[in-house]
Amino acid sequence: MAYVATRGGERAIEQAERLFRDDLGVIDRARVDALRNGLPYLIDRVMGEASLYEPDLAALALAQAGGDLYEAVLLLRAYRTTQPRLAVAEPVTQPDLFTMRRISAAFKDIPGGQILGPTLDYSHRLLQVGVLSGRDYRPDAVEPAAVPAPATQPSLAAWQKAQALIPDHPVEAVAPDDIPDVTREPLLFPASRAHKLQSLARADTGGALALGYATMRGYGSVHPTVNELRLAEAPVRLRHPRGTIFSAGRVRVSQTEVISKATTGLELGFSATFGWNEVKVIAAATLDLASNQPNPHPASNEEFVLYHTEPVESSGFCIHFKLPHYVTFQSSLDALRRVKADRKATTTAPKMERQPKKEEAVL
Amino acid sequence: MTLQELTRPWTAFNYGFLDESAKREIRRRMLKAIAIPGYQVPYASREVPIARGWGTGGLQVTLTLLKPDTVVKVIDQGSDDSVNASSIRKFVSRVGGAAETSDTSEATIIQSRHRIPEEKLREDQVLVLQVPNPEPLRPVEPDMSVAREMHGDADYGQLWLILYEQLVKSGRIMQGSSYPSMVNGRHVMTPSPIPRWDVPKLNQAEHLTILSAGREKRIFAVPPYTSVEPLVFDDVPYRVEDHQDKTCYRSNVSGFFMNELPQEDGSSRYELSDSHFGIKHIQRAEGGSVEIAETYYNNGRME
Repeated sequence: MAYVATRGGERAIEQAERLFRDDLGVIDRARVDALRNGLPYLIDRVMGEASLYEPDLAALALAQAGGDLYEAVLLLRAYRTTQPRLAVAEPVTQPDLFTMRRISAAFKDIPGGQILGPTLDYSHRLLQVGVLSGRDYRPDAVEPAAVPAPATQPSLAAWQKAQALIPDHPVEAVAPDDIPDVTREPLLFPASRAHKLQSLARADTGGALALGYATMRGYGSVHPTVNELRLAEAPVRLRHPRGTIFSAGRVRVSQTEVISKATTGLELGFSATFGWNEVKVIAAATLDLASNQPNPHPASNEEFVLYHTEPVESSGFCIHFKLPHYVTFQSSLDALRRVKADRKATTTAPKMERQPKKEEAVL
Repeated sequence: MTLQELTRPWTAFNYGFLDESAKREIRRRMLKAIAIPGYQVPYASREVPIARGWGTGGLQVTLTLLKPDTVVKVIDQGSDDSVNASSIRKFVSRVGGAAETSDTSEATIIQSRHRIPEEKLREDQVLVLQVPNPEPLRPVEPDMSVAREMHGDADYGQLWLILYEQLVKSGRIMQGSSYPSMVNGRHVMTPSPIPRWDVPKLNQAEHLTILSAGREKRIFAVPPYTSVEPLVFDDVPYRVEDHQDKTCYRSNVSGFFMNELPQEDGSSRYELSDSHFGIKHIQRAEGGSVEIAETYYNNGRME
C-alpha cells in the first residue's frame, strides 16, 4: 500500500542498535570482572560522575557502553534514579579517612606527614611494549616501610584554623533528612554550598578540568596552592533505628583543599568525590574557590560552571543534534524565502531596510 | 504478620520506571504549572534511560501521567516512527503497559517533539511537549538567575526589541520556531520548538498542554481554554509558514504543514508533516473507512 512508504524507520533503528551490540559481542561476568579489576581508576571516574558507588554496576555499565564514558555514566545514573534513598550516612571528617595518599604543596612537611601512596607523579611514562610480544610486565615488589604510616591523619586546615590563618565556617546543624540533595532537587542559583559541592563531585572530569584549567591558567583571580590532597577510603557509618551506629563498609574517595591568598587571610576551596580522581578534585576545588570571588570570569562563574560541567546533560544535549530537525529548519527556510520574495516584489528598497554600508556596497 | 506479607515481589523497575517519590514531585510541579499558566516551575528532573536533550522532560511527565489504560502516541517532527519517537513510545509501553497508537484521536497522552497534530485535540487528551530550551529570555539574557527576575517583573522589553530588530533588518519577523508567546496575559513562554504554524493551536485549546524540559529542569503548562498570544506588533500581523497552497504528493491533501523534499532536478516535493494524518487520508482514498477528526486549520487558514 502506498502509505507504507511514509513509515519503515523502526526496523532500521532496531538493526542499528543490534549492529552496535554485535560489535561488542557477548557480555559475561568475566568481562565485567576484568574491567573492574583492570581499570580501577576508570571505574572510579564513572562512579563519581554517576554518584553511585557500586564497582560491579560501574564495570557492567562500561562493558555495555563499550567504554563510552558518557554512555556508561548515563546507564548508571538511570539505574540510580530508580533506587530509593533509604538512609543518610553519618558525616565523614578528615580524621576519619583511612588515608593511602596525602600530600601538601603548601608546606614542606605537615602534622601527620606527607604520604606519597600510589601515584605515577614521579614516574617515567614509558610504554611497556614488550607486553605485546609476549613478555609480561611484572611490576617490582613494593618494599614495606620500617614504620607503617598511620592509617588516619589530622586535618591540615584544622591546624591552619587554630593558627587563625583561615576563618572557621560556622557549623550548621541540619537533620539528616533535611540535607540538600541535588539528585532530588533542582539546582537553583545562587546555589547552596551543599548543592555546589555535590554538583562538582558529579561533574564531568574533562569539563571540570577545562574550566578549572582556564581559571588556574589566568582567566580568574585565584592562584591555588594544594593545601591537602587525599586518596582514602571513607567509612560509611549508618545509624540503626535503635540509635546505634554501625559500619556498612568503605568507599574510595578523593578530596582536595586548595588555598589562596585573600584580602584578609587565606581562603579554601574544597572538593571531594567518589573514587580516586586527583585531577578532578584539584580542578573542582579551584572552581569552588574561584566562584567566591567578586565578578568571576565565566570559566569560574558558578552558574556557568555548574551547568556546563554536568556530564549527562551536556553530552545528551550535544548528541541530540543528530536527531532530525526538519520542522524547525522548514520554518526558518520559510521566513528566509518570504523575505527574499518581499524584496523582489518591492521595486524600491523597502522603507525599513537599512542602507548598505560602504564596504558591503563594494562587494 | 510476616515480613513476606509486607513486601512486594521483586521487580526490575517500578511501574512507570520512576519511583513513587519522583512521580509525586512531578505531579505537584505540574499542578503548580497549571495554576500559573506559562510560569516555569523548577523540578528535580531525574535521569531516565535516554540521553538528556532527547525528550527526558517529556518522558518524565508521560511516565508520571501513565495509567494501565493509557493510549500513548509519540511524535517527532510530525512522524510516529522516526528514531526517537518509536524508541520513547516503546519504552513507555514497556514500563507502563500502555497501548501504543499513531492515531491522534485514539491517544490519551500525546508526547511530541516539534509538532502539534493537525487534528484537533479534545478535553480528555493531554499534549506533552518536549522542550530543549524553556527560557524565552535566553537569547537576550543567558544568566538564568537574572532571567527569572525579569519574568517576575514581567520585563519583556528586550524580547520585543529582538523582534523589532528582525523586522528592521529583514523586513519581516524571522523567528522560525519557538515563537515567544504571552500566556494568560502574564508570562511569556517559548512554546517549545514548534513552528509558527502550531502556536495558534494552543490558544484557547480544549486540551491541557504540559511542556517539560528535562535537562533544564523546568515544567510549564498551558491549561485548557487559556489565551496564548504570540508577541506581535499592532501593525505587523502574526504570520504562519507559507504552506497554505502546498500539496502533499502522497495524499494529495493541501493546506497543512508540509515537509519539503528536495529533488535531484532542483525542484521540491512536499509531503504532510503530520505523517499519520497523511496515512489516514491515503487509507480513505483507497476506500478504507477512516475517521478524520476536525482540524485546527482548514484550507490553510484558521478561522
